[in-house]
Amino acid sequence: MKQVIKRSWAEPYKMKMVELLKMTSPAQRKKALLEAGYNTFLLRSEDVYIDLLTDSGTSAMSDRQWAGMMMGDEAYAGSRNFYHLEEVVREVYGYKYLIPTHQGRGAENILSKILIKKGDIIPGNMYFTTTRLHQELAGGKFEDVIVDEAHDPENEFPFKGNVDLNKLEKLVKKYGAKKIPYVSMATSVNMAGGQPISMQNLKDLRSFTKKHGILVIHDMTRVAENAYFIQQREKGYQNKSIKNIVKEICSYTDGATMSAKKDALVNIGGFLAINDYDIFEEARNMVVVYEGLHTYGGLAGRDMEAMAIGIGESVSDEHIRARVGQVIYLGEKMMEYNVPIVKPIGGHGIFVDAKKFLPHIPQDQFPAQTLAAEIYQDSGVRTMERGVVSAGRKANGENYFPKLELVRFTIPRRVYTQAHMDVIAESAGRVFEKRNSIKGMKMIYEPKYLRFFQARFKQL
Amino acid sequence: MKTIIEPFKIKSVEPIYFNTVEERIAILEKACFNPFLIHSADVLIDLLTDSGTSAMSSNQWAGIMQGDESYAGSPSFFRFENAVQEITGMPLVIPTHQGRAAEKILFSILGGKGKFFVSNTLFDTTRANIEFSGAEGIDLLCAEGKLPSVPAPFKGNMDVEALRQTIIEKGAANIPLCIITITNNSGGGQPVSMENIKAVRKICTENNIPLFIDACRFAENSYFIKLREAGYANKTVPEIAKELFSYADGCTMSAKKDAFANIGGFLAMHNENLALQCRNLLVITEGFPTYGGLAGRDLEAIAIGLREVMDEHYLQYRIRSIEYLTNKLIAAGVPVMQPAGGHAVYLDAKAFLSHIPVEQYPGQALVGALYIEGGIRGVEIGSLMFGKYDEQHHLVPAPLELVRLAIPRRVYTQSHIDYVAEVIIEVFSKRHEIKGLQITEEAPMLRHFTAKLKPIN
Repeated sequence: MKQVIKRSWAEPYKMKMVELLKMTSPAQRKKALLEAGYNTFLLRSEDVYIDLLTDSGTSAMSDRQWAGMMMGDEAYAGSRNFYHLEEVVREVYGYKYLIPTHQGRGAENILSKILIKKGDIIPGNMYFTTTRLHQELAGGKFEDVIVDEAHDPENEFPFKGNVDLNKLEKLVKKYGAKKIPYVSMATSVNMAGGQPISMQNLKDLRSFTKKHGILVIHDMTRVAENAYFIQQREKGYQNKSIKNIVKEICSYTDGATMSAKKDALVNIGGFLAINDYDIFEEARNMVVVYEGLHTYGGLAGRDMEAMAIGIGESVSDEHIRARVGQVIYLGEKMMEYNVPIVKPIGGHGIFVDAKKFLPHIPQDQFPAQTLAAEIYQDSGVRTMERGVVSAGRKANGENYFPKLELVRFTIPRRVYTQAHMDVIAESAGRVFEKRNSIKGMKMIYEPKYLRFFQARFKQL
Repeated sequence: MKTIIEPFKIKSVEPIYFNTVEERIAILEKACFNPFLIHSADVLIDLLTDSGTSAMSSNQWAGIMQGDESYAGSPSFFRFENAVQEITGMPLVIPTHQGRAAEKILFSILGGKGKFFVSNTLFDTTRANIEFSGAEGIDLLCAEGKLPSVPAPFKGNMDVEALRQTIIEKGAANIPLCIITITNNSGGGQPVSMENIKAVRKICTENNIPLFIDACRFAENSYFIKLREAGYANKTVPEIAKELFSYADGCTMSAKKDAFANIGGFLAMHNENLALQCRNLLVITEGFPTYGGLAGRDLEAIAIGLREVMDEHYLQYRIRSIEYLTNKLIAAGVPVMQPAGGHAVYLDAKAFLSHIPVEQYPGQALVGALYIEGGIRGVEIGSLMFGKYDEQHHLVPAPLELVRLAIPRRVYTQSHIDYVAEVIIEVFSKRHEIKGLQITEEAPMLRHFTAKLKPIN
């Protein structure tokens, strides 16, 4: 048989500075878990070997970004770094006006307060924890309009982040376009497993919303990863650069909230970008109260500089290929061990299907939370629950029971090597082998907002 | 030896770009006579604020490199928490991206319509956050604090009698919190005495009102206590700070001042229930409780800075350099707030530009003149920042019309300061040529940040 030699990707960078890791014993991990109430958010990071809790703010910055850090202009007003960032946002994303914020949720807070009136409906391609909360606190109600395929972890549809325009149309008919200030459109839908939206769908969404006078607001934290999937999967984009695709995506939207802690390769920072001058002016007045003056938005000058440089690096074809390549490598390795994961593999992490992994644990005993604790116990790898705990409660106090009950293995950008990926996949495989002996959990402390951050559990 | 030298040397520098008077006139016009709208590259000496503008030490930069950026449970957080606990004696520590975010959280919980917050003087963002919640802020500054030209040792003190009176008038149940700002920024960077804090504590306890400290400049205030208050000469600054915090139920802090950080802040307190409520709000707008919207590296820088700032050699140099500039101006007859405060020189704009009525914002006019003359950027603390309109849309002026020249920590040398004095004295000699201003555009809240103005001919 003729052997096909695989053409591997390799990182388009080398290491310049390293951070030492601590190894722990099973007994130490058992103790740490107990202290943390079996919530991986409450573990001390020094007890963690490989930290896959989030890809947010955990990237390794480049030497150029560190050089930018030294060029921080910490003036309270009119910092040079702000004007640089503004120029980069205009050039790379094409949005007209920029308001920096200390992170993405700062931008969501301001935008929700400006655009949402009490009783408004905010359709979106699947909820995200902080986004939906800000919409609700502003008096709005979130309505999921993502395609049905997104809720089925087995379905291999290439664009599971797409908006179902029929669902959207029904909402417009039911409530009237006046009640819908904007559609909240995320690229690389996080809660669906980092699934992309197609350019065609975006174009269709654009023409639909234009007809009804509804804005499209882009949750763009992982726009470059979404652009990579469009390049790989959508007809007509194979020969376009990531940079061009990103700009085209943004061109079909009216504004964006950005957590720069993901794609843009920084440890802190975000922004609100908008094309409408009136909304911009209102946001500029509001940002002073919550974040800081509009030329720093609660960020050090150096962090705006690192962001400006990081945005440029994030839309390079080589960078994105290696980034998503590493995630796919991990996912394929897990599949070799028969671990059930969400397919197709997303852009920023592997989402393990906890319902299928632990079918004997009912959803009200938190199978994903349980699995995250088991993985930590096995290898010191820290993952995150994205299921019933994250979904929280409805206004009437009932639990949301989401269709997807997942454990997220999020891969920080440019941080871990292929050998780290091997350790992670092996650990998931080992836990899978002993899955029948694993028992569910009970929640013993539940905070009012975003309960997944601070909830505590005990083993049944 | 008489000369006090800086207890540090320079490790990294940032260039200053020079421009001409003609260029600065054009820049100021383009910025609509508002210094907040000038690009920092067009400023020679930036005295807009001492907030976030400090030069960090090499130790802090080393901390920056060691920052652990884990989303949850970072060791950088635990070092930060430990430093705050040790200095304040308060067990519950909540990081925020800056001081106003700490205030925002606190006042969203305690504020609301019909509530009154009493203070020696609330700063601009503090007041905005209180009013945003629907509550009202009441300043009860001691009488000597309102007289810029009369020196007194503790002009930041709260008027204890007025506090008693206000509690009777408004009812203790309607006063959720008493806040002491140290040092008193809007009132000239003037310190509050330990005796005053104790007296306020006593009244608060009698009326069951919690006491919080706005602790941005706690080290400068502690050093003034050491210098000026009987019984504290032989105590160390950490001891004084600890005593000062021991009278409070909690504090808010912008770490951009007395922690030499470029970003960051925190809330600290004793009450578990209040802390729980604060953390619930924190995750919505700031971030997870072990990072609060800050990079791990910034938590490290704050932890190190909080300890560095209490070094007495540093504080002696800091307080002395403000005094140096103040004394130079007094010698030239320039009307300044006396005695010198902890972090800034305050020009008395009402006396400086006595020909400009308060409705024409003499402070803002002076800020423009200083920029044109020498590229110095200061800030108005007067009727543009704190003025209000009555029902007939007439300006209700602020009690003082000041221009604050805030000195960033560890940034400028003595020759920079000499230059600043020369520019001010030059402007003073031709003060009669300066014209008043009128507002052409303003926002409903915190208008001074974005307002546009033009000269009145």
